[in-house]
Amino acid sequence: MNKLKQLLIYFIIIFISFNLHAGASDDVKTSSGDFETSIFEDEIYDPLEGVNRAIFGFNNVADKMILEPAAKGYKKLPTPVQSGIGNFLKNLKLPLVAVNQLLQGQGKNAAESTGRFLVNSTIGIFGLIDVADDFGLEQKEEDFGQTLATWGIGDGFYVVLPLFGPSNLRDTSGMLMTMMTDPINAYAASQGEAWAIPLRTATNAIDQRSKIIDEVNALRDNSLDYYAAVRSSYYQNRKAAINNTDDSDLTPLPLISIEFE
Amino acid sequence: MINLIRFIVFIFIITLSLSLKASEASNWLKQEVDKILIAYQNPNLPNENRFLLIEQTINNNFPGKSIAINIAKQSYKNANDETRSNYINLFKRHLALNIASLMQGYSNQKYKLTDSRYDEKNKVNYIDMEIYLDTGEMIVTWRVLKHKERYFVIDLIISGISLYETKRSEFNSMLKNVDNDLAKLNEELRKINESSYQKIIN
Repeated sequence: MNKLKQLLIYFIIIFISFNLHAGASDDVKTSSGDFETSIFEDEIYDPLEGVNRAIFGFNNVADKMILEPAAKGYKKLPTPVQSGIGNFLKNLKLPLVAVNQLLQGQGKNAAESTGRFLVNSTIGIFGLIDVADDFGLEQKEEDFGQTLATWGIGDGFYVVLPLFGPSNLRDTSGMLMTMMTDPINAYAASQGEAWAIPLRTATNAIDQRSKIIDEVNALRDNSLDYYAAVRSSYYQNRKAAINNTDDSDLTPLPLISIEFE
Repeated sequence: MINLIRFIVFIFIITLSLSLKASEASNWLKQEVDKILIAYQNPNLPNENRFLLIEQTINNNFPGKSIAINIAKQSYKNANDETRSNYINLFKRHLALNIASLMQGYSNQKYKLTDSRYDEKNKVNYIDMEIYLDTGEMIVTWRVLKHKERYFVIDLIISGISLYETKRSEFNSMLKNVDNDLAKLNEELRKINESSYQKIIN
């Protein structure tokens, strides 16, 4: 019990420390006079770039050697099997998605996510089949990182986590909160089935990676600076997720003049 | 009452005009995308020729020179004419390789242009393309600008990620690493282009 208390205190300290750092790093101003940059570049604060690049290199090797081959193998499974696994994993996330929607004041979305979970877990056979879509219960993603952002907590600096990939202080805090509060993981651990937690994480990674094999390869093979390309893509993607928008109209318009053509 | 009718007619004309502009751009985009897909789907075409066809289509439809200059800005201004010219050529090929490589992954998939809208303020068309994959759909948004009676694609947005923004960030980072020296950037660009080209033709 004492150990559990110590662990909880440890996580709280880490969490508060991360968010204090996050707040402080938001005050750092990059001067556009240093170099001509615009919107996203100025917002990406990456003081640990050297360390991040080293971890990124390690992750890249791990991806090429383990994750990408596993994802390619997974893609060879029949499409209904892939969809079933993907649906099952997405369904397991829904309780926390609903909690985050509530924390962000999205009552209607939280009700829809709860409805999705109930319908898919029962009629959809433990979430293997996404029948909720047919009932008009749309899939929406929310996590603690997005919730913290909605509460006004800044990105903090950019970090590349070993194996987990690109993140920032706020989203790392969010990820730790997810790990600590996920009811499915907690239930598995309480039943002495903790092995299911890394299995779930690994399967989820393979499922997600299998959906972007071509995109990642295109980015990796054609980037002048792959690290910077991933960092920029991560920030753009998170920004869209936080704003809850797929609306491309909100992506900053390239400030270019085509008079040169 | 007459004023109300006039107002409704006015709104109707404006809406119709915006919708026509968007639809004209969509038709143009469909033709150009199909040119690329046909090149991919032709099994008799040697890979080198296929890429040349695709590169030509991309160069005709993207304002490569303008994007290149805007991305390098200060370094471009400080470079000599020969370096500038090399940079433009290398950048255009880089852009073509990036887009060809992205589209290669979708070359066997069906697609549909699902929505197009015209942003009057910025004079930009937004055209949504839905690509049907085995595991679901994916939306790609094309930003299209009309200039001197020609359409140009100024950006591609996939899952909220803008190709222009990603390239800008990537080039800025590389320029910082080479002390904003465009000639040094050209060397790096030539290397990556060669490696990307080998991957795309093999």
